[in-house]
Amino acid sequence: MKEPSETKHSNPDNVPTERNSKTKEKNNEFEFCKVCKLNHNQGRRHNYLPNHVKSLSSFLSRFQSKLSDVRLFLKNPSSIRPELAFRNRFWCVFCDIDVTEHGSSFACENGISHLASADHLKNLKSFMWKHGGGMNRVNAFRISEADLAKYEKKCISMKNKGASEQSRVPLTGPSNDIHNELKFDYVDNFDRSHNSKFPNGVLPLQNHTNENYQVFHSDLPGGYHDKSFLLASDAKPSNNSTAKSFLNEGYLNNRQREADTEASSAGFQKLTRISSIVQEVGPGNVHSGAPPPWFGVTNGSQLDCVVKRRKSKLNPKRVGAEWAERRKMEMEMERKGELPAKQFDASWLPNFGRVWQSGSRKDSRKEFKVVETDKSFKDDEVNQSHDSSLLQLQPYISKRKRQEANE
Amino acid sequence: MSYLLRTLTKKEEVDSMIRDTIDKLLVLRFGRSSDSVCLQLDDILSKSERELSKFASIALVDVDSEEIQVYIKYFDITLIPSTVFFFNAHHMKMDSGSADHTKWVGAFHRKQDFIDVVEEIFRGAMKGKLIVKCPLPPERIPKFQLLYKDV
Repeated sequence: MKEPSETKHSNPDNVPTERNSKTKEKNNEFEFCKVCKLNHNQGRRHNYLPNHVKSLSSFLSRFQSKLSDVRLFLKNPSSIRPELAFRNRFWCVFCDIDVTEHGSSFACENGISHLASADHLKNLKSFMWKHGGGMNRVNAFRISEADLAKYEKKCISMKNKGASEQSRVPLTGPSNDIHNELKFDYVDNFDRSHNSKFPNGVLPLQNHTNENYQVFHSDLPGGYHDKSFLLASDAKPSNNSTAKSFLNEGYLNNRQREADTEASSAGFQKLTRISSIVQEVGPGNVHSGAPPPWFGVTNGSQLDCVVKRRKSKLNPKRVGAEWAERRKMEMEMERKGELPAKQFDASWLPNFGRVWQSGSRKDSRKEFKVVETDKSFKDDEVNQSHDSSLLQLQPYISKRKRQEANE
Repeated sequence: MSYLLRTLTKKEEVDSMIRDTIDKLLVLRFGRSSDSVCLQLDDILSKSERELSKFASIALVDVDSEEIQVYIKYFDITLIPSTVFFFNAHHMKMDSGSADHTKWVGAFHRKQDFIDVVEEIFRGAMKGKLIVKCPLPPERIPKFQLLYKDV
């Protein structure tokens, strides 16, 4: 008897608290959705919001495009120079790691092996589960073991080939060395200029951080000092030896720092050489008048739409409208390669109203052509007259006489 | 000054320039780059090219070139610099009160004059007119004399 009453008592208390705790959990448990880049407290519900769905699809397609680059290398592996390796890295959004290419001799080698790894698959699956991308798409974001095996085979064969072609590699090597040497020279000069070129003790800020540059001038005993140095001299104003030791220390520090800047600038200067990557880009670019890459094959019609819209805006009665439309079509065809370019006649002339012409503009062209041909005809006649002098001149014989002669 | 603008030296180049300039006014300057008045005109053309680039393209034609002589004859060019205007491969005339309506002979006094003329011709062409009146006052139109067939 007691138990039910207890339960009765306990139930009304418990139920609301549970409910409260549930709602509290719902309201309070904020989590970060890395697809939407948003903190939310909606739990799993969030995955079905249109904004999330939209950003998820764009998120995945972005990674897909990145992957397509990698897949390119998967299909035809290409060797990569070690100094370019640091450019050739990619961020795996599922595993949240930066896959670098240090120590790999082929483009995206580490990336490919990462994409085929079990870790990646695990992370990918958990991502898909958490953000709702659809488990059936998992294979689109990883590389299968079979592909990896094929790739490795290709790599090995490439390496063997490369060994025979290694005579080519040193050609590129020295140029890099020269590049670096030149730069080091420049830094060295800078080094020297520190001591020689700034007599006022004013130093240009090389590192824009608040590093204390130790400036020292042996010929100016009470010259410009760094903060730390001033402190020291305040403490022991008469002691020259400590000051000197400070100077030496400062000098050493300075040298070291410059060595550091050397190293960092050496890293910085390697920003050049993009050509090896660019060479693989498709047939056309901006300069050759190819449509931009974001107008893909499917969106090629967008260009046409733009053109058509512009067409309709122009006055249909404008000068040469018909001709312009026809010519535009022709040019379009020529660009597409459907028509051979420049099919027009070498003697083509535009309509032109000549100065002393009274008729239409076409007439003036006709007349000009007639005059031109006449002239050339006359020139020909002059030439022919020389030839005709060689022809036999025969006396005129009347028709009747000829007939009589024949009879 | 001529290096700032495209210089045409062959008939095919002029042909393709006329044929491929669509719905834009084509300004062809016939002259030679060593001539002082040509230099003056070229300066104005090159300075205004960018501003007019939306509705006009400008090219220089070298009159000394052998392969251009057809056009020199066809366009009756006797004085340099002469500027000829085309729109959609149709010749555009301008009545400037001088003897020759078919071309502009001489340099423009200032850049704005040239821009005005180009604008006027373009407007006329867009309305379907093959000849327009010169928007410039007569004192800023260079004077010259034409001779009929060297008489």
